[in-house]
Amino acid sequence: MDTILFLAAPITACLLLSGILGYFGNHILSRGVIFVDIAVAQVAALGTMIGILLGANEGSLFSSLFSLGFTLIIVSAFAISKFKHKEFSQEVIIGIIYCMALAAAMVMVDMVTGGSNFIQKTLTGAILWVTWKDNLILFIIFSVILLLHMFFLKKFIKISQGERDSFPLSELRLLELVFYITFGIVVVQSVKIGGIFMVFMYLIGPAAMTHFITENWRKRFFLSWIFGFLGSLIGLFVSFKYSFSNGPTIVCTLGLMLFFIALFSKNPNKHTAQIIE
Amino acid sequence: MEGLIFMLPPFAACLTLIGIHGYFGIHVLKRGIIFIDIAMAQIAALGVTFAFIFKIDPESSWTYLLSLIFVLIAAYIFSTLRCKNPKICIEAIIGISYAVATTAAVILIDKAAGSDEHVKDMIIGSILWVKWADIIKSFVVYAIIGFIHYYFRDKFIPLSENYEQAIQKGVKVRLWDFIFYLTLGIVVMHSVRIGGILIVFSFLIIPSSISALFSNKWFPRILSGWIIGTIVSIIGLYLSWKFDVPSGPAVVLFLGLFLVITVIFRSIGKTKNIEGSVDGNIVTES
Repeated sequence: MDTILFLAAPITACLLLSGILGYFGNHILSRGVIFVDIAVAQVAALGTMIGILLGANEGSLFSSLFSLGFTLIIVSAFAISKFKHKEFSQEVIIGIIYCMALAAAMVMVDMVTGGSNFIQKTLTGAILWVTWKDNLILFIIFSVILLLHMFFLKKFIKISQGERDSFPLSELRLLELVFYITFGIVVVQSVKIGGIFMVFMYLIGPAAMTHFITENWRKRFFLSWIFGFLGSLIGLFVSFKYSFSNGPTIVCTLGLMLFFIALFSKNPNKHTAQIIE
Repeated sequence: MEGLIFMLPPFAACLTLIGIHGYFGIHVLKRGIIFIDIAMAQIAALGVTFAFIFKIDPESSWTYLLSLIFVLIAAYIFSTLRCKNPKICIEAIIGISYAVATTAAVILIDKAAGSDEHVKDMIIGSILWVKWADIIKSFVVYAIIGFIHYYFRDKFIPLSENYEQAIQKGVKVRLWDFIFYLTLGIVVMHSVRIGGILIVFSFLIIPSSISALFSNKWFPRILSGWIIGTIVSIIGLYLSWKFDVPSGPAVVLFLGLFLVITVIFRSIGKTKNIEGSVDGNIVTES
């Protein structure tokens, strides 16, 4: 019982993260920009490192705001850019942003005290050390963003399904900006707690699982939340029992869940009709 | 002088890597499989990590074999995925493989070594400490694979350029896809041991992105990728030595910088061309 009390804060964090990220994940999966969140997360980590280099303390408000500002600039540039070269797709740009951000962070790793520790933390997160204050901040930010999204939900779903042409260009750009900026904020906050890969898995894993099960968007949002939270619970307890790194164990658990659902799913091609190439 | 001699092995390693990666990178871009290679690199690194925690000598053939098995499994999965499932599911599975492979490696390292240095090394490699034996071994392997790809270019190139056409022409697509991913995997396996994941990934996508802005033909692209890579490696290695920063990431940063400068110059060049030439560079070809 003591264990559960001790894990209460991390479990709550998982509940919040799996909810909001499960929601965004379904959009991301439909849009096919699977790796944008890894790039955004890495840029956020780089922003924090630059902040530290400029003298801020790691947990400070300045460092957070700096990282957020840095990330939002890059995200906005991505949202409104449209490179039309045949091979220079959005995915290539995402890949390049990712490796540049990683390279820059690695170049600075020795300039910052505790640099390699920080890199490790961005990869694995520190979910066990999350505080109730952290959870409250997450809850407030995520609720606000979710409310905003409910307002535009039908339009966002349309864009995610590829029906971009039904919008005038200026409205499309605005909606994209709102989408990616809120996405950026969510990713930055989540990575601080869970690390890059847990955030990535929360986004893609449960959403991919629900893709095998239903086409209804609302059902997908709720199912993603449930799968994500379930995987987190199992992962947390396993990691606790066997003294594994927590974040990575949750990632592997969700990965295995997806693997099994994919293997035993009856009709993987049933949903080809609504998945846009 | 001493500094220059010290930098010779890393420089030779960079040249070797850029040569083969510049070629494979063109395939990667044409097939649109940007993140498969980082997943493969991580899977290869996972194999090395496995060997590491079971205290197998990193130089031994067992380590090589273990990595190769991991890579073979990945090659098989990726090559069969193409035939059955929609694009989105493929990308999701690649991403998840990448995430699971990375976190599995982190769990293993954490359990075995209890230190974060190894995670960092996995990412940035140790190109500064590369030995001539490793460079020569890799060079030979790359040369053999390069020859195979040259000899069978009428199979590999159509497969990446136009998949449907290749099927119509009667190319055995599943077989050659598998061979493609296998050879890519072997290359990645060798490169990861020298340069780490970051270099492997960057050398695959950045030189070919730069060459894509200039030409659509294979040979000019391979050549320009190699030349650009050489120049950038010289600058990157020299500056990393001068400012005492990790060499691998420094070279990658300069590659990226070169790309950004090239894109800017091309955009300026395009706006000066009032009629807009149809050289197929920033406009989608039909």
